Amino acid sequence: MSVDKEEVDQRLKAAVHYTVGRLCQRIGEEHRREFSRQTVAAIAETTFRECDTFAKDLEAFARHAKRSTVSAEDVKLLARRSTALSIHIQNKSEELAQEQRESRKKSSGKRKSRDTEEEESKE
Amino acid sequence: MAAKEEEICFKKETVSKLLSSSFKEDKTKLSGDATQLMREMLRVFVQEAALRSLKQAESEDCNQVEIEHFEKILPQLLLDF
Repeated sequence: MSVDKEEVDQRLKAAVHYTVGRLCQRIGEEHRREFSRQTVAAIAETTFRECDTFAKDLEAFARHAKRSTVSAEDVKLLARRSTALSIHIQNKSEELAQEQRESRKKSSGKRKSRDTEEEESKE
Repeated sequence: MAAKEEEICFKKETVSKLLSSSFKEDKTKLSGDATQLMREMLRVFVQEAALRSLKQAESEDCNQVEIEHFEKILPQLLLDF
């Protein structure tokens, strides 16, 4: 049982490491700098551990709202500490909701307005 | 050109498994919207970590971003998330 969990953890860690590596490479290229392998590993490890904190917070938020499913609202609450991040996540959430409405509309009519700026200016 | 600029992001399955494995109770679930938002959240986290480390390296006139650069920006990074 616990061996199984360890293996899953290792794989998740590897997946996180992979994406962190790609993100670092992209950012490095944009600024003509290189990330050492140790740095990439450290960022990956930090992300992995931060995820644990995030998950526990989200669970507590959902529980506080008497839900057993973590919703988008809980994630918005998680992003409260930084104003810019909070606004960014709000916008992203609206973007997602908009996309979902559009994909539902597609089956009946074909009104496509992909401008998210239009959506933002309405507020 | 637009295809090359395609955003790098964590996979949906990775994020949902990662979070689900840390939940204390088994019955806690993650909605699809929440997973999507958490993907974005984690992407921003990593991007911030990388960019802040890079700026630190830049200010020290280093061509390679080393672990000590990341160490210097880590406390504030954790306070911001």
